[in-house]
Amino acid sequence: MKMGNSQHSLPRRSRAPAGTFNVQRPVCAFRTVLLLLLAPFWLAAQTPPQLPSGGLMQLQMMQPTVDVSSPVTATAQFDPPIVHVGETAFYRVTLDATESSVQWPDELSTPAELKFGPKRSGQITQMQPGKFRPLASFVYEVESPVEGRFTVTNFSVEVMGARVQIPAASVSVVAKSASAPTARRLGLEISATNLFLGQPFHARVILPASSGNQVEALREIEFSGDGLMTDKTALQQFIEPVNFQGQLRNAFVAEMKVTPIAAGPLKFSAQGFSAGREFMAPISVRSQISFAGGLSQYTLLVSDPVEILVRPLPVEGELPGFTGAIGRFFRDPPRLSTNRLRVGEPLQLRLAFHGEGDLARFVPPAIPRSRDWQVIADPPPATSFTLIPLTDETSATPAIPFSYFDPRSAKYVDLTIPPQPVTVVGEGLPVELPVLKEEEKSAAPVKLSTLAPTPGKTVSSLTPLQLRGWFAAVELAPVIGFFALWQWDRRRRYLEAHPEIVRRAQARRALRREKQQLQQAVAAGDAPAFVQHAARAMSIAVAPHFPAHPRALVSGDVLAHLAGAGQAGPAAATVRQVFAAADAQYAVTPQTPPDLLALRPGVEAVLLALEEKL
Amino acid sequence: MNLRAGLILAVLVGQLSGVRAGTEDAFTRGLEFSRAGQFPEAAAAFEKSVAAQPAAGTLVNLGLAEWQRGHAGAAILAWEQARWIDPFETRAEANLRFARQVAQVDTPQLKWFEAVSAWLPPNAWVWLAGGTLWLAVGLMVLPGILRRPKAGWQPWLAALAFGIFLFSLTANFGVLSRTQTGFVLRKNAPLRLTPTRDGEVISSVAAGEPARRLRTRGNYAFIRTLGSAGWLEQSDFGPLCPR
Repeated sequence: MKMGNSQHSLPRRSRAPAGTFNVQRPVCAFRTVLLLLLAPFWLAAQTPPQLPSGGLMQLQMMQPTVDVSSPVTATAQFDPPIVHVGETAFYRVTLDATESSVQWPDELSTPAELKFGPKRSGQITQMQPGKFRPLASFVYEVESPVEGRFTVTNFSVEVMGARVQIPAASVSVVAKSASAPTARRLGLEISATNLFLGQPFHARVILPASSGNQVEALREIEFSGDGLMTDKTALQQFIEPVNFQGQLRNAFVAEMKVTPIAAGPLKFSAQGFSAGREFMAPISVRSQISFAGGLSQYTLLVSDPVEILVRPLPVEGELPGFTGAIGRFFRDPPRLSTNRLRVGEPLQLRLAFHGEGDLARFVPPAIPRSRDWQVIADPPPATSFTLIPLTDETSATPAIPFSYFDPRSAKYVDLTIPPQPVTVVGEGLPVELPVLKEEEKSAAPVKLSTLAPTPGKTVSSLTPLQLRGWFAAVELAPVIGFFALWQWDRRRRYLEAHPEIVRRAQARRALRREKQQLQQAVAAGDAPAFVQHAARAMSIAVAPHFPAHPRALVSGDVLAHLAGAGQAGPAAATVRQVFAAADAQYAVTPQTPPDLLALRPGVEAVLLALEEKL
Repeated sequence: MNLRAGLILAVLVGQLSGVRAGTEDAFTRGLEFSRAGQFPEAAAAFEKSVAAQPAAGTLVNLGLAEWQRGHAGAAILAWEQARWIDPFETRAEANLRFARQVAQVDTPQLKWFEAVSAWLPPNAWVWLAGGTLWLAVGLMVLPGILRRPKAGWQPWLAALAFGIFLFSLTANFGVLSRTQTGFVLRKNAPLRLTPTRDGEVISSVAAGEPARRLRTRGNYAFIRTLGSAGWLEQSDFGPLCPR
């Protein structure tokens, strides 16, 4: 059988070698005496230490020695020696030696029918008359599916270099119908099974009273299994009636706070030594009980395992200032020792937290970083801060981020301490210097100026124009102006070299005006005006070709610039009619033919033809 | 059309007069606070006035209030800014000499072109440069374009204008260079080896010490003073010309 499963064995605490106890005690006593003799010289001005009542008496009492030199004896037995098929018995080996000195074998030679569970081990210091004696115990849970009598033969283990014989032990496995006592075991109750990493919970280890309602103490309580941290400083002990395996029985109950420090499913059990009347801490008795007489019998007892599920804390939603506080916490409004101070003067910010979580292990908010404040955390368990302003420009204390994780809502809760308004007064500077001797006078004035009565010269901004974007655009304006001037001059010189372009452009503009007036005359039914404008428009359209002034042209000039076919066609006739009618306006008795407005389509066709050539 | 232009003009004039009224109101309150010895409140009022419209006199008074509060760095910065606006501001100049003697801090060491740029307000130099350049160009180009005969004095005037333009270029460069200067605001401000909060402190500089900002990184500016160089928190550095 493979033994020594490390997952189920308790972590061994480092202990001093057994042989050092007798050597160190005289040395310690010598040092104590020396310290007491020299103390008046060192502590002349100090307050004498306050010893508890009976403290000096306790120091002077002779303490019993720890016996590690007597021969080691060993016992082995099954508890109970008769067990039903399928039920659990304990194979328990006890040696009066320290646990660390026993070289326990990894495998035991055991009957094949017996199923051995994982090894549990523990150690206790038993009080014997005039001495202490270490006691180590190794326990296996044993179960057999078949009836019979089975024996674990004797074997030897090495204890501090010597071989110690472990005697043989037998167990009888009987049918379920036969009467057999049950093995004595511990009870283990926990306050929660579904937890978050770091969330503390309460564990109650229960040792029921034995037959005769005799309650025993339980010592050296441990939890087997990895990933748990036990706070023994919060140990509470009771003797009270409990419901154990369906029966109301008096029991010794040890309650302590356990914190999971590893995520995932965790399986663990409790173990401890029954220790008779050796109740080591204040205990609350809540029922009628009786105690067994005689010397205590130390027996390593274990409980059934329990399983919890530990979930890691969520990463999402974690708030600043989380120091590991899990539970439900509240804080009182922060209190300042003063709200008006000078630069460099300390100020105390007191914080008080309450809640349902583990306040014993409560980690106060971390020191905030601030350039305006020097912040010092007061020594624990105080949760206050000392703040020193470094400048008078600050008007409030720095915010102190803090948050906790609420396992009920599975969310982080913000409990940040907000900035507290304060007034910080700075130190002024001299406004006037003492008048020096004539030869030591410097060019600097001896005092500051008076106030300026008016704002004086103003600017829109301290940023110079050179660095403003719009000013670059303003600087471009003269460039654009000079470029435009240059282009204008260039165009002017070109037109001067090509005057026909100017004449044609002028003719086109004049032609547009005449055509507009022509349309107005048609609209008004004014035939004389119509022919005047038509004749003038035709003259304007052909004038640049000569070049000549339009008034100097006659119908023949217009006809000369009509296309070849047009000179003899209806267009020519229209031109002649228009010019004839226009000339008739200058007669002594002007006569206007009534149908001149009918020439409009022909006039428009002529003008279109002439304009195309312009 | 005319109505719309009139409305726009009225709104602009109204806004400008509103800003001016607010500035003067803050300035007046600052004066009252200063006379009553309430220097933090006076400094706040003058700062508000400067934020609305920087003025040399307001900055002189702001410097006086900051000095009375014990802020030598802020006071020296305010007076330097007053001289930046108006180099002929005599109060600021006298106060700077007094403050530097009391605080035992250095005067900014300006290069020759920076010293030249301090003769006139920064904006004057840029207008001078622009005006003289285009005057020279105009005198050379316009007579030809406009077909006017060139007078004998025109080339001389153009040459003079161009010379002034070249001279003002150096002053403008000095103005730009001076925008990198500033003053340490915090008393014994730590100069760090690296631009980090945990950077090694290599020295500390006194409030009001002149410095030149060479580059920035995050919340830190690399500055060079007369005696040392290192990274300083930007909030501890007051630039002469904030942007």
